[in-house]
Amino acid sequence: MLPIVLLSILGLVVLFLGFQKSKNLLLPATLLVLAIVLVANFLHWNDMPSLYFKNMLFENKFTMAFSGIVIFSAFLIVALTRGFVDDESAQPAEYYTLMLFSLVGAVMMIGFENLIMLFVGIEILSVSMFILTGSDKKNLRSNEAALKYFLMGAFATGIMLFGMALLYGATGSFNLTAIKGYVMANNAPSAMLYVGLLMLLIGMLFKVSAAPFHFWTPDVYDGAPTIFTTYMSTIVKTAGFAAIYRLLSGSFSGIYSFWWMTLAVITVLTLLAGNITAVYQTSFKRMMAYSSISHAGYLLLSLTALTNQSQSAIVFYSLAYSIATISAFGVLMLVAKETGVHSYENAERFEAFNGLGKKNPLLAFVLTVSMLSLAGIPLTAGFWGKFFVFSSAADRGLTWMLVIAILMSTVGIYYYFKAIIAAYMREGELSAIKVSPFYRLILIATTIITLVFGLMPDFLKGLV
Amino acid sequence: MNSSLLFLIPLLPLIGFIINGIGFRHVPKSLAGVIGSAASLGAFAISILAWNAFEGQPQVVKLFDWISIGQLTIPFAFQIDQLSLLMLMVVTGVGSLIHIYSMGYMHHDEGFGKFFAFLNLFLFFMLLLVMGSNYVIMFIGWEGVGLCSYLLIGFWNKVTNYNNAARKAFIMNRIGDLGFLLGIFMIIQTFGSVEYLEVFAKAANGSFSINDTVIVTITALLFVGAMGKSAQIPLYTWLPDAMAGPTPVSALIHAATMVTAGIYMVIRSNVLYSLAPATLGVVGGIGLLTAVVAASIGLYQNDIKKVLAYSTVSQLGYMFLALGVGAYTSAMFHVMTHAFFKALLFLGAGSVIHAMSDEQDIRNMGGLRKHLPVTFWTFFVATLAISGIFPLSGFFSKDEILAHVFEHNQIMWGIGLFTSMMTAFYMFRLLFVTFFGEFRGTHDQKHHLHESPATMTIPLIILAVLSAAGGLLNIPHVLGGGESLAHFMAPLFELSKQVNPDLFEGHLEHSTEYILMGVSVGAAVLSILFAYNLFMGKKVVPAADKDVTGFPKVLQNKYYVDEFYEAVFVNPMRKLSDLLYSFGEFLIDLVVNGTGRLVQFLSGRLRLLQTGETGFYVFAMVLGILVILAWNLLLK
Repeated sequence: MLPIVLLSILGLVVLFLGFQKSKNLLLPATLLVLAIVLVANFLHWNDMPSLYFKNMLFENKFTMAFSGIVIFSAFLIVALTRGFVDDESAQPAEYYTLMLFSLVGAVMMIGFENLIMLFVGIEILSVSMFILTGSDKKNLRSNEAALKYFLMGAFATGIMLFGMALLYGATGSFNLTAIKGYVMANNAPSAMLYVGLLMLLIGMLFKVSAAPFHFWTPDVYDGAPTIFTTYMSTIVKTAGFAAIYRLLSGSFSGIYSFWWMTLAVITVLTLLAGNITAVYQTSFKRMMAYSSISHAGYLLLSLTALTNQSQSAIVFYSLAYSIATISAFGVLMLVAKETGVHSYENAERFEAFNGLGKKNPLLAFVLTVSMLSLAGIPLTAGFWGKFFVFSSAADRGLTWMLVIAILMSTVGIYYYFKAIIAAYMREGELSAIKVSPFYRLILIATTIITLVFGLMPDFLKGLV
Repeated sequence: MNSSLLFLIPLLPLIGFIINGIGFRHVPKSLAGVIGSAASLGAFAISILAWNAFEGQPQVVKLFDWISIGQLTIPFAFQIDQLSLLMLMVVTGVGSLIHIYSMGYMHHDEGFGKFFAFLNLFLFFMLLLVMGSNYVIMFIGWEGVGLCSYLLIGFWNKVTNYNNAARKAFIMNRIGDLGFLLGIFMIIQTFGSVEYLEVFAKAANGSFSINDTVIVTITALLFVGAMGKSAQIPLYTWLPDAMAGPTPVSALIHAATMVTAGIYMVIRSNVLYSLAPATLGVVGGIGLLTAVVAASIGLYQNDIKKVLAYSTVSQLGYMFLALGVGAYTSAMFHVMTHAFFKALLFLGAGSVIHAMSDEQDIRNMGGLRKHLPVTFWTFFVATLAISGIFPLSGFFSKDEILAHVFEHNQIMWGIGLFTSMMTAFYMFRLLFVTFFGEFRGTHDQKHHLHESPATMTIPLIILAVLSAAGGLLNIPHVLGGGESLAHFMAPLFELSKQVNPDLFEGHLEHSTEYILMGVSVGAAVLSILFAYNLFMGKKVVPAADKDVTGFPKVLQNKYYVDEFYEAVFVNPMRKLSDLLYSFGEFLIDLVVNGTGRLVQFLSGRLRLLQTGETGFYVFAMVLGILVILAWNLLLK
């Protein structure tokens, strides 16, 4: 509860700071806010699970861990914005405030106990993201992306609301526990409940870009300014998966046999669409968009299995994925800025990394570790993320899905390694890039986290 | 002592490695050596604190849960007990001396900082190996020291031969490691744990009979690992080649510490080995065979380091012989005394090579005693010690092993004694030819001859004292001693005694012991006299390679084992790999590239779905919703 209150109030404070002439205070202020919220989030770590806001929000170690991941990711991403000093038309105060507000939505999605809260959370998050996607006002692609995102998002929201209404009609409640009670009590639930559940799920699967509802993702991720692409592919996704997990495990684990096959098919489609299409991409940023689809597939695999291990598996996976993604985009932003001076076209392509290893060994190393982690190579956090997800699927006996997932992760190695090959084996005229010490520190931190969790995965897994 | 301090023992060398490794070329030379040595000395100091704080009970200090999969949990933890403490003292103590020595020896080398980084890294892994509380951590250390050994053998990587030697060492060790790894897997399978205390408690709870097949297999597999690391027949040929590395490396890694890891592992697993006397028989047999074969090769080597290398192989064989008859304490005792005198011999050889401007052939030396007095006297002490002359350390440890072998089998004792005669002969041959007689080198070399600097001679003197007095650690009852090492180590073997009391039975009469000692010292003195007669009396200089014929030629060529391996294993393997390669070129590439092309093709098609039109996206979504609803509601 504390994070929501703090984020709302302090978000306003940051907005008012924007009235000052000097914009220098905004970045440190936002980072301070996020640091405070991060601490506040874990204040009640050892308390018993509890309900807030008239039983509309729930809090336990799982929700705190997830909130922790999104707040921490937001901290890292904000740190990488460098205060938007490069862009004269930028509105840093508004951007930071929107980011802080969107976190309110994310925390609500993670901790919802009532479907209304879920809806409010998703909308707060989505509306903020629509604006941030289109924040590069003079760029046509950014505008197009924002509009597409908005149209598709509005459509998905409609479907989701429809699903919630049907669920209410069937069970008479928006409350997760009450819905669970209804599901348990009725041996043959009505068709209304089924349709409601499916519609609600579809709406949420849209948000995490699962196939066949993923088509918006590449266009939007590609068109948005890279810093907000990073934000979307980590925070929106993480919150979305936490919400789906809470919904399925909280209310509908009793009718697992009804929904698992649907989810399984969607999982497989997502894995195929994400990985296979990524192979053809020549733009690194677009590849990362498809990669985010494929990672949604792996997370869905764990949700389809829904065993005791799923919870810690998705926590670990989300963290590993978020950190690696932030690293990768962090390097891309630096390189794209450098390359963009010569040719705008090449700025976000794989070729942009050519010769990175020679002149910028640190950046090349950061990129390599993040790519290895995303590909799931051992000694990185990504390996253990995949391992936990796969082992939860193995527990459920989903062998056929595992085979597909493992085949697809080998496909992943192909396109992730393209970046590493470009960095080390291709010649390029990239000169030494100036990296501010703070930026460098963040990149080193994400790399170290990836490696440390790769070496001792139990450190985090033991907590949740 | 605060147990968290223990983590500093491996951590300090690791920090040294990171500073010197990352800062290579940036850290000034004068600082790099100091950092490396300080890391080692720091670890030594904390080891002493740990030694003083030790209360007799094994203490497991857990850092964190490292891996837990299913029922198996592998913590990252250290175990402090008698065995790990002894190894700690040897590794950090001798290690520190060799670090200090290297500051002088490597002074002119370009890769000075890199060298210290590698040495520190080696120390880190070696400390993990001996401190770990389970087989997996031991394995990490085991692999890590193998890696460092590889890096350091090929340290002068501009010479192709040295790189080949490094690769040979690495590959031979990998063969052994495979056995070790399989052994660990079987331990997990059998005991459901890799923690020493748990595994040994389960092994000793009575559910396994003597020579139980499972235990015999486990111990045999582990021993395969030991054969590789500790250079036993048939995996010993890498060690002599490993002399390509800088001499301090030979002293530290290939004499005093790493190569004794196999012995450490067997002693650590003594409960399992005591349950498997069949394996112990093999261990003893291979040890004895290695001892005698390597010693005989040593008789005709003319490279100062090669002689010492074969001597090391032979002494390691001795240690395994001791293990084979269940004399775990004696093996450990010999590990320690050997660490002292063999490190000293190598460092002395290094000092000679340093003075001789990188000359290693003893036929070109001679008369060095006058020019290198400190080196000569310390080398002399070590030679006496390794020859087993009373009252130097080698006498006590070797005599103890021979006495235990005598209880066990008198023929093996005879062969062991013969080996120790050969040892005394080739060591004194080395001493006489190198340090006495006329100088036989070039004029330039003669002009350049000088005693080494203090950073090199001080470690020599300290090691000479240890080599001379190391025997005091475990003076047998018969000589009025208290066998303090045996008492100290006794708790390690309690479980073994419980599961297999027969192994520890057998006691020699005092009179027999006196006779055995007399015989072994007498034999050694006899062969020293023989060597004296030959090389001092008749002033024989070992013949040039082409003049050697008959059996000596076989010995000089190391029984043609390398050629044999080349013909029987390496070449057929190359042919097979050529065959598989050409097959792979065609078929496997077809399958692999075909799959790749297929994915790329699919990717090209799927990409077209991404039209960029919102209308199509909404259409796809609606279609998806309809299919899902229809399938769930109508078809189910």
